[in-house]
Amino acid sequence: MEVKEEQSTKRKKQKQGRFWTWVAASVLFRLILIYFPKNLNLSSRPEVSTPLTSLRRLAEGYWLKQSSMSPYAGSMYHGSPLLLSLLGPLTVKRIEGQPSHLLCSLVFVVADILNAMLIRATGQTLQVAYRQSLKSLDLDTISESMEVLSSGDIAALVYLWNPFTIVACVGLSTSPIENLAIILALYGACKRMVPLAAFGWVMATHLSLYPMILIIPIILLLGYGPDTPRKLLLMRRCGKVEDNSSSDSCQQQEKVINQSDLPKVFAWGPPMLFLLWAIMWSVYVLLLCGISVKQYGGLWEMFERMYGFILTVQDLSPNIGVLWYFFAEVFDFFRNFFLIVFHMNILFMIFPLAIRLKHRPCFLAFVYITISSMLKSYPSVGDSALYFGLLGWFVNELSEMQFSFCLFSVYVGVSLLSPVMHNLWIWRGTGNANFYFATAITYACLQMVLVVESVSAMLNHDRKLKKLTNAKLQNGKC
Amino acid sequence: MVAEKESESETHPIPRARPKPRPIVQLGIFLISHSLLFSVVFSTAGVLALLLLPVLAKNTYISENALMPGSVAPMLSNQEVAEANRLVKDLTSLNSKPLASAIGSQRLISQYMSNLGAEVSHHKFHPQLNQFHPLHFFSSPDSGRVEQNISCALHGVNTVGIIRAPRGDGKEAIVLVTPFNSVKLNLNEALSLAIAYSVFSLLTRVPWLAKDVIWLVADSQFGEYSGVAAWLRDYHTPVFSGLGTLDAEMCPESNNIYGLNENLSTKRTIYDGFKRAGTMAAALVIKVADRSEQYEDSLSIYAEASNGQMPNLDLINIVNYLAVHRQGLRVKVEKFWPLLGLKWLKTLGEIFESLGHLARSVNPQWKFGIPAADYIEGSATLASSLYYQALGVPTGPHGAFRDYQVDAITLEIFPKVSSLDNKVRQNDFLLRSGRLIEGVIRSVNNLLEKFHQSFFLYLLTSPGKFVSVGVYMIAFALLVAPLPMVAASLYVDASNSDYSLKIDKPAPFANASDEPCITLKSWKWLFAAKKVFFVHLWGSVVSLLPYFICQIPSCTPTTSFIIWVFLSILSLVVMYIVLASPSSHANESQPQRGEWAILKSVTLSAAFIGLCLMSVINFASAEIGGLLMVPMCLMAHPLKLDVKARSIRTVSRVVYNLVLGFIGFPPVAFIVLKGAFEGFSGVNVGDFWSWVESLWAWNSATYLYIGMVYLPCWVLCIHILFHRC
Repeated sequence: MEVKEEQSTKRKKQKQGRFWTWVAASVLFRLILIYFPKNLNLSSRPEVSTPLTSLRRLAEGYWLKQSSMSPYAGSMYHGSPLLLSLLGPLTVKRIEGQPSHLLCSLVFVVADILNAMLIRATGQTLQVAYRQSLKSLDLDTISESMEVLSSGDIAALVYLWNPFTIVACVGLSTSPIENLAIILALYGACKRMVPLAAFGWVMATHLSLYPMILIIPIILLLGYGPDTPRKLLLMRRCGKVEDNSSSDSCQQQEKVINQSDLPKVFAWGPPMLFLLWAIMWSVYVLLLCGISVKQYGGLWEMFERMYGFILTVQDLSPNIGVLWYFFAEVFDFFRNFFLIVFHMNILFMIFPLAIRLKHRPCFLAFVYITISSMLKSYPSVGDSALYFGLLGWFVNELSEMQFSFCLFSVYVGVSLLSPVMHNLWIWRGTGNANFYFATAITYACLQMVLVVESVSAMLNHDRKLKKLTNAKLQNGKC
Repeated sequence: MVAEKESESETHPIPRARPKPRPIVQLGIFLISHSLLFSVVFSTAGVLALLLLPVLAKNTYISENALMPGSVAPMLSNQEVAEANRLVKDLTSLNSKPLASAIGSQRLISQYMSNLGAEVSHHKFHPQLNQFHPLHFFSSPDSGRVEQNISCALHGVNTVGIIRAPRGDGKEAIVLVTPFNSVKLNLNEALSLAIAYSVFSLLTRVPWLAKDVIWLVADSQFGEYSGVAAWLRDYHTPVFSGLGTLDAEMCPESNNIYGLNENLSTKRTIYDGFKRAGTMAAALVIKVADRSEQYEDSLSIYAEASNGQMPNLDLINIVNYLAVHRQGLRVKVEKFWPLLGLKWLKTLGEIFESLGHLARSVNPQWKFGIPAADYIEGSATLASSLYYQALGVPTGPHGAFRDYQVDAITLEIFPKVSSLDNKVRQNDFLLRSGRLIEGVIRSVNNLLEKFHQSFFLYLLTSPGKFVSVGVYMIAFALLVAPLPMVAASLYVDASNSDYSLKIDKPAPFANASDEPCITLKSWKWLFAAKKVFFVHLWGSVVSLLPYFICQIPSCTPTTSFIIWVFLSILSLVVMYIVLASPSSHANESQPQRGEWAILKSVTLSAAFIGLCLMSVINFASAEIGGLLMVPMCLMAHPLKLDVKARSIRTVSRVVYNLVLGFIGFPPVAFIVLKGAFEGFSGVNVGDFWSWVESLWAWNSATYLYIGMVYLPCWVLCIHILFHRC
């Protein structure tokens, strides 16, 4: 027994070591790529830098600001003024003999590593919660067998080694920082650090608007605790057993429930606190923004140029989303109508999903992020990088996901085909916009299939757990 | 989408409780369960459709109305021809005095140009040495100039004359190119200069010109392509700092082009800097061939640019129309001669012909089928069209224009035998060719937008017939359709066999004890995917190796090739030791029966993705590659299993696999194909190296395809063949 334990600790240590070498290798890989920015020319790819995340635009905005003009003049920059004062000075600083924007690239690398670490920590919390809930269901055997896969490590490595993440990081887009804000919010909510969660949520909303819908999973997370799937089941089981006579087994169950001391009902305290903190942080952020854009038209100008730009889809240059093509085709007098329709699309899906997945708030957050990255007005691969990282949290639950191989192949195919189609259209002139849009629409469908499949796999997993506990119960009774 | 549909069904058999799946899923299940039949049917249909393409070719038509070719009588008269003849005479007399002929002929041409009132400038360039830059395809044209290895000692001088259009705004231009070797002048080059000169002199006087006309006398002492390419590069990358061009700045030697501008009489128009007109609407490269035709003057059209890009079909159409219907020239496009004598092709043509007759007897409306002779001609032309597109190497100086989205073709004019000795015949020849060029320029001059109406993606089966992308893609889609189908069916089989195994096990009740073996069942392919990924990574390493090998000084092609093969094998072994050890360890822990099936399924998917990608980049090389790759990948099956079974079917499969595996190796495939068409005498392995070198020197995507798709798939197939299962 001791030997076995020793072995397992040894293996654990080995695994830890391997994890850190992979992290180091990913950092090294990024640093190598940063030294060849010209050859790769990633920062001008439409897949990587959108009008919102492009560092070149940020540098332009900073330059305008330095020459005491509004950074939003000329429709070049559409990001946050806070980002401008944070990253702006770094864009002009050059080190002799080094590639330009080296400092910014380093900031993005650091943001990526931070993201990975936060994902790892959150994943570990989730796993602990998952194992606890399994234990309370008397399904320890599963949790033992699943020790092989620590979802936190996997999620972190998936995030770090995902080509999308690497491309977004090296391609000088600000999406690692936006992702950092989102992950910070989820991390804070999982670890029940209310101020941190509120800060992350406010920053994420401020930077890219769409994470606003994450307020629902965060509140659920704070209210129910991290993905604890089986409270409902536990209660039902208890009730069922009670129906079937044998009251002491129910007592036993209750004991288990008490043991696990999980909050069974929605706790109103932390969400209220969260809302309070969120209001405080948003006032603070708005204050800071107001100070920095005071001379240039004030906050209203900022709202118009940031959120207005996102919501009215003004820039129709091609990207990997589907909206540019549509709004380039649509007649002007229908434009407002379709703008509303397309944005409602995201909102429509929020509540049904929230009701169905309320026992798994982290998974709900993943679904929301995927949906918004599919339907947002200026998507980039940085968004996909984020949801793939989050997908890693649920390796155990989604182990029986269908079509995983097919999804993977189509992802590879589309992400290779899309730049080629772009080249064919823009540089060689032998293709046209439809070629490129075809890959964009395939990509959107793919994300849809991913959402559908992962949700159904998750629900199947829940069903299976239910069946297993029922079987066990029956067994025990026999 | 096909893959998606198919694999949608691939996991549906598992939840068996479902009463009746949706029709689309049923269709998918049906396709997968009969994948063997369907793959045979589809790939045969693919090959047949490829053979049918010459029959399905449509006649070309002029799609852009604004072109209006041949609607006006040509204006070129004997007066211009006489002037052109004077130029030829001056040039040949200059050539007889060997000293200073290079400078002299340049000066003479610029003198002639400026006498016509054109703006003349000289462009000095340094030829670029062969550079390894296969990724150039994915970047914009001018990002390739980051590092250039130019040698400052060598330089050539292009002479450029520009006529400003009286009715134009200087925003657009038409380019005439005549390659011209100033060091060693010969008569046919002088004649091509004469044709261009006669047209040019006419154009200085015409009132209808709406686009500027640029006449580029490209110095061809370093090859016809490099001079044109250098001029185009400088044309499209303006330098704002000084007057000199970029190349001249890189070489800090005297910028004064050896006294070209000393001639006082021409000083007024010869300009030291770089002269530009507007964006180019079209470019024509004019050449006069040095061999001549037997019966009549004829015209050869070369259109293939780098990576199988073609100019807009309308440009070829107007040239073809004017040459055939106005000037009575015979128009040819390149043919693949060895095909003409093939017996089976003739039989096939006859079969198609009789089928066509049959179809017409059933319904006279069906215009199906062409005469057998036409069929053979058409397929020979199609084969050469496919070959040159697949090679990805431009067939002439026009290829340089395509990189800047300018439609360009090379017109090579063959004079009739002995016409050049006769003065009258020569005048007639010049007049007809000049009128052809004039007509084309007049048509292009009418254009309101750049060429966009007609096709860019097409294959020619004769100068007047083409196969468009919508037709030839069908053949390709049929050919590759079995790949995802078989991949899905293998994948389903492999995962189902696991499933049944698990069910066979005594399971008293569905408890957690058999839980662990379900875990990650659907992610089992990850190991195979890892293997495939590393093999493809190795493929990219192999395709980067020549970059280092070609820097070894004084290497013969054969030794370079041997070094390449050796280094590739070495890198494969190193990669296996370093990276594959954890995966092999993981595999050993769970020896899977169906492991090779999963591996084959992933390989097939990778091959499918690679082929689809390549079909978008360069259709022809994907088609040829697919013909080689699809049978090899589909048939791969572990030899051990086949040998164990010992039936006729398995033994024949073993033989087939071994033969395909041997022929599939790229150098072997190259040598076999070369030997089949040119005879095996004098074939050596160094030829492969030279061929590959020409591919990467021309930035051909085919090189990347061979290195990063074909070779890894071949290795994986071999791996599956020798799989220990």
